[in-house]
Amino acid sequence: MTILYLLIPIAMALAVAAVITFTWAVRQGQFDDLETPAIRVLFDDEEPKEEPK
Amino acid sequence: MTNSSAHTCDHCGLRFSRAAKEAVCDDKRELAFCCIGCQAVYHTLHEAGLEDFYALRESWSEEAQPVDPERLQADQATLFDSPQFLQDHSEVLADGTRRIELHIEGVHCGGCIWLIERMPRLLEGVVDARQELARRRLTVHWDPQRVQLSEIARWLSQFGFQAHGIDAKNVEQRSQSSKKMLTRVGICWAVAANVMLLTIALYAGLDAQSDPGLYTGILWTTFGLAAVSLYVGGSVFFRRAWTSLKAGRLSMDAPISLGILAGFGHSGWATITGHGAIWFDSIVILTAALLTARYLQIRGNSLAADAAERLVALLPRTARRVLSSGPGLPKESGAQELGSVEVVPAETLVVGDRIEVRAGDVVPADGCVVIGKSEVSRAVLTGESRPEKIAPGGILEAGTTNLTSPIYLDVTATGASTRVGQLMEWVRSGAKDRAPVVQFADRLGSYFISFVLLAALVTAVAWSFVDPTRAVANVIALLVIACPCALGMATPLALTVGVGRAARRGIHIKNDDVIEALAAVTDVVFDKTGTLTEGRPSVVDSYGDQAFARRACALETRSSHPVGRALLKWAGPGISEAEVEEVEETPGAGIRGLVDGSDVSIGRLSWFDDVSSERSNWAEEQARRGLTPVAFAVGGEIRALVAVGDGIRPESKGVIERLRRRGIRVHLLSGDHPRVVEETGRALSIDEGLTTGGVSPEEKLRYIEALEREHPLANVAMIGDGVNDAAALQAATVGVAVHGGAEASLVAADVFIVRNGVAPVEELLQGSQKIMSVVHRNLKGSGVYNLLGITLAGFGFITPLLAAVLMPISSLGVVASSLIQSSFEPDRPEELPEKAPIARHSTTEPAMEPAP
Repeated sequence: MTILYLLIPIAMALAVAAVITFTWAVRQGQFDDLETPAIRVLFDDEEPKEEPK
Repeated sequence: MTNSSAHTCDHCGLRFSRAAKEAVCDDKRELAFCCIGCQAVYHTLHEAGLEDFYALRESWSEEAQPVDPERLQADQATLFDSPQFLQDHSEVLADGTRRIELHIEGVHCGGCIWLIERMPRLLEGVVDARQELARRRLTVHWDPQRVQLSEIARWLSQFGFQAHGIDAKNVEQRSQSSKKMLTRVGICWAVAANVMLLTIALYAGLDAQSDPGLYTGILWTTFGLAAVSLYVGGSVFFRRAWTSLKAGRLSMDAPISLGILAGFGHSGWATITGHGAIWFDSIVILTAALLTARYLQIRGNSLAADAAERLVALLPRTARRVLSSGPGLPKESGAQELGSVEVVPAETLVVGDRIEVRAGDVVPADGCVVIGKSEVSRAVLTGESRPEKIAPGGILEAGTTNLTSPIYLDVTATGASTRVGQLMEWVRSGAKDRAPVVQFADRLGSYFISFVLLAALVTAVAWSFVDPTRAVANVIALLVIACPCALGMATPLALTVGVGRAARRGIHIKNDDVIEALAAVTDVVFDKTGTLTEGRPSVVDSYGDQAFARRACALETRSSHPVGRALLKWAGPGISEAEVEEVEETPGAGIRGLVDGSDVSIGRLSWFDDVSSERSNWAEEQARRGLTPVAFAVGGEIRALVAVGDGIRPESKGVIERLRRRGIRVHLLSGDHPRVVEETGRALSIDEGLTTGGVSPEEKLRYIEALEREHPLANVAMIGDGVNDAAALQAATVGVAVHGGAEASLVAADVFIVRNGVAPVEELLQGSQKIMSVVHRNLKGSGVYNLLGITLAGFGFITPLLAAVLMPISSLGVVASSLIQSSFEPDRPEELPEKAPIARHSTTEPAMEPAP
C-alpha cells in the first residue's frame, strides 16, 4: 500500500493540471459558444487564403 | 390548391402558385421565385459564388422576413464610421487593425453563419469574421485602412442581416462573471471527484488501525481539498446568505451555507482530533451540484441581459437635426427648402430641436409634427400592425417608424424621458423588485442536509448503545448512501434538458424557474396582435364581383405593397393566365394597369370618383371593424370591394378550445380598437367578460395585477409582443414574448418563442407539465432511494463498501430519467420532411386558401 504515498500526490498533481487547463480554456472563451462550432465543421474548406496575423 | 400547381420559391421556400412562378421565373435555370426580391438575392448569392448557403441552411423560416433596404441608411453608416463609436465599441490591435463585436439581427441557422463567415474572402480588408449562432454575436476583425465598418454593415444588409452596435463594456463584464462562475464550477467538480476517490479508500475499510499513516494522510488531504471547495464554491453561497441576512431576509442560501459549514466544521474537528465521522465527500459534492445549478441559471440570465442591451438598438443612434429653421418656412415640406440638415448623435438632441425624419427612418425622440404628412407604424410600441396617418400637430414617440414621406418634428423628450425610455425603466425596476423564485431543489437540499445530520446523530447514538464497534461503520454507510448528488441534480438536470429541447423547438425559456409555474398555469392572457392573428394583412371579407376581383389581382404581381401581397394570396392560382401590361402604381392610393386588355385599377376608395352609397356604406362598416377596404374597378367603375385586415390564424381557435377544456381561463387583452378586439374574441369564442380592447400599456399592467389580486393562487401567463406589453409581461407570473414583436419585449419576458403563431404556446404549456413530471419523478426516485438507504444503513444492513457502490447508481438513475423525458417532442413523423420543401410548409398552407 505504500505505493499510495506516491500515487495520491500524482493524482493531486494531475487534478491541479486539469484545473489549470480548464481555467485556461475558460479564459480563452472555449465554452462561450457551444453551438456554432458544431455547425462550422460542416463548412467546406476554402481555397487557402491569407491567415490572420 | 393542389400540390402539383404549387411551387416552392428557390430562395425563401415560400409556396406560391404557378402564375407567380411564371411571372418572375428565371428561364435559364428553371428556377422558381415567389417574388423579384428573392430572385435578386438568389442571384446575388450565385454571383458571389455562395451557392452552398442553400445546402447549409436548415430550413426556411416559415414566413419570409421582410428586408427593408432602407433600414441601413446613410445615417447608420456615419454612426459606424464615427471615431467616437469606433473608440467606444472596438479595440485596436497591435498591427493597427480593429476588432468589434456586433449584434446581428436575422441569423437563424448554419447557412447564415456560413454566409457571414465568408466575408473575409469577399470583402477586401476584412481579416476575420466569427459569427455566434446562439447569441447572434459577430466578431469582425478588419483593417480600417482598407475597409470601413459601414461597408461591412452594408455588405451584411445585402443578405438581410442587420448589424447593431452593442455596449461592449457591459457585455464583457457579464461574460467575465459568467466565466468566473464556470471556473468555480470546474474547480469544485475537480475537488469533488478527488475527494470521492480518496474517501472510497475509507469506505473500503482503511482506518487508523490498518494503516495509520495513510489514513491520516487521506484525512488531511480531503480536509485540504474540501477547504478549497469551500473557498472557491461555498463562498458564493456564504456571500449571498450574508447579504440577505444583512437585509433582514432569510434566503435559501442561508440553510445551504449552514449545512455546508456545519458539515465542514464537524468533519474538520474530527480530522484534527481523530474522532468522529468525516463528511467531506458529501459537502464537496453538494457544493459542486448546487453551484452547477446556479451557473446554469446565471448563463440564462446573461442571455436576458444581452437582450436588454439591444434596447439601445431600438432607438436610432443618430438624428437629422435641422440647422437653420428661420422664419418664413415654406408650407410644404422638402429638405432642400428647409436649409441644411446635419446628422448628430441622438443623445445630443435637446428639447426644442427640430429634426427631420425621412421615410423609412425610426423616430429618434418624442416629438410633435410641425411639417409634413405621412403614415407611421407604431408596431414596436403598441404592436398595432396597421400604419397610422400623421399630420402636423400629431405626437410621435421615439421608436415609431415613419413610412411614407419625410416629416419634421419638434423634439419634446429625449433619451430616458421618452415613452420608450420610461417603459424600459419600468421594466428594469420591476425586474429588480421581483421576488426570486426559490428553487425547489435548493429548498430540499438544505433540509436534506439537516435531516442527514440528524439521522447520522441518531444512528451514532443508538448504535453506541447497541454495538459500539459497528457504530462508526454504520454512520459512514449512512452518510455515503445519503450522498445528495442525485437530489441536488434532480431538478436542475431535468430542467436543463427540458429547456434545451424547447430551444430546439424555437421556444427559448430564459429562466427555468418559470417551468414550475407554467405547468400549473390557470390564466392565459393573450395579446391579440401577432399571437392569435396573422400579424400581417389578409383578405377577410369581400363584396361585389368576386371573380372579377380575383382576376384583377394579377396586377398585384407587379407590386410589393403588403396589401398587394395579401390580395395575391387571396386570388389564388387562378390569376396565372392573365396578361398584365402598363402597370402604374400611385403610392398611397393604388395601382392601375391593363389586365387582359381591360383597364383595371385597384386602390383605396377615395381614389375613385363615383362611389355608390351602398358600397361606401359597406366600406365604412369594414373600416369600423378595423379593416381596410380596397376597391376594384374597370375603367373607373367600381365592380368589387374587399376588406383587408389582420386575419385570425387558422390554428388559434383549436388551441384556445383545448386550453379552455383543460380548465384554463383564456383572456384577450389588446391595444387595438375595442370593436376589432370584440370581433376577434367572438370569432375565437372567448368569454366576452374576459375580452378587453383599447387598453393602454398601463391598463394592461393593471389588468394583470388585478387578476393576480383577485385570484391569489392564480398562475398568470401573459403572451404578448411589443414594448407596450413589457410591463404586463413583467407583472405576470410568467411572461411569454412571441415572434414578430420587438426583441425588446425579451427583457421582460421569461420565455421567448421564435416560431409564429399560437401553437408553440400550447406546446410550451404541455412541455412544462412534462418537465415538471420528470422533476417530480427524479425527486421521488432519489428521495425514496435516500430514505431507504438511510434507513437500511441506520439499522446496519449496509456496509460502507456496498454504500459506495450503490451511491453512483442513484445519480445515474437521475441522469437517465432526465435525459429520456418526452417534453417538446419534434414534429410527429407524418409531418417530417419526406418531400422536404412541401411537407415542411404544411402549416402555411391554410393561409394560401382563399379567405371565406
